[in-house]
Amino acid sequence: MAKLLFLRDIGPTEVGGFGISNADDLLLVEDVQLVQQVCSAVSVEFDDDSVADYFDEQVDCGRLPEQFARIWIHTHPGKSPSPSGTDEETFDRCFGGSDWCVMYILAQGGNSYARARFNVGPSFDRRLRCRTQLDCEFPSSDQEAWFLEYCENVSIHDPFLSQNPPVTQSIDVDWWRPSTVTFERWTDEHSEVG
Amino acid sequence: MKVLLISNDAGGFAEHVELTEGMTVQQLFEKQIGPLKAGNYLIRVNRQPAAADQLLCDGDRISFTPLKIEGAN
Repeated sequence: MAKLLFLRDIGPTEVGGFGISNADDLLLVEDVQLVQQVCSAVSVEFDDDSVADYFDEQVDCGRLPEQFARIWIHTHPGKSPSPSGTDEETFDRCFGGSDWCVMYILAQGGNSYARARFNVGPSFDRRLRCRTQLDCEFPSSDQEAWFLEYCENVSIHDPFLSQNPPVTQSIDVDWWRPSTVTFERWTDEHSEVG
Repeated sequence: MKVLLISNDAGGFAEHVELTEGMTVQQLFEKQIGPLKAGNYLIRVNRQPAAADQLLCDGDRISFTPLKIEGAN
């Protein structure tokens, strides 16, 4: 959860990825993995080749699709985590063929939305209540690695920078230094987790 | 012949499957996913985009992954 909060807050745009689940508890998300994507303040679009590469890499790591391809995660920079029509269309089109899937949205204000869909048998959707599980081992925070992952995968598209053509800018790794203010805010928000 | 098939659809799996010799990418896709939805997938063989009529070989790695995963608010 700390990584997702960090990724949500590090830039001004949406950001998305796949949840990587515990092999024995598929609804326990242990990591969030980014793929290459173009993001704006109101959208996120994954790169198709990067998604395919991600699948190959995860299979090479010995994971099954149910561990790495079922939980679609993205953020909303605004206050509302409610899925948009685009979110619903993607959820149907891209995840509707798997036996189950989850859409998770984390909004800037801290509200979240999670819904599972079971596509086998009498298919149905169910809203999920999320919590951070602390009674198991988990890796320590590594903000530098998370930031590098963000820089390697996220391109920001700002339609207001130029009318024609659209401008896509990559993040310059060197500019980033975690400010004290940002770090303290981040720490304060999550002090209850520790 | 045996190939590794990675698919997010048809239940979702990543496993070795036995195929008959001379099977094409299109035939495998239609067998596993169906004939109508090929446009929704990136189809790769050995990590490279594949043509529909490409013949599959023993040991190939085939993946069907979703196209245009996008969100908005």
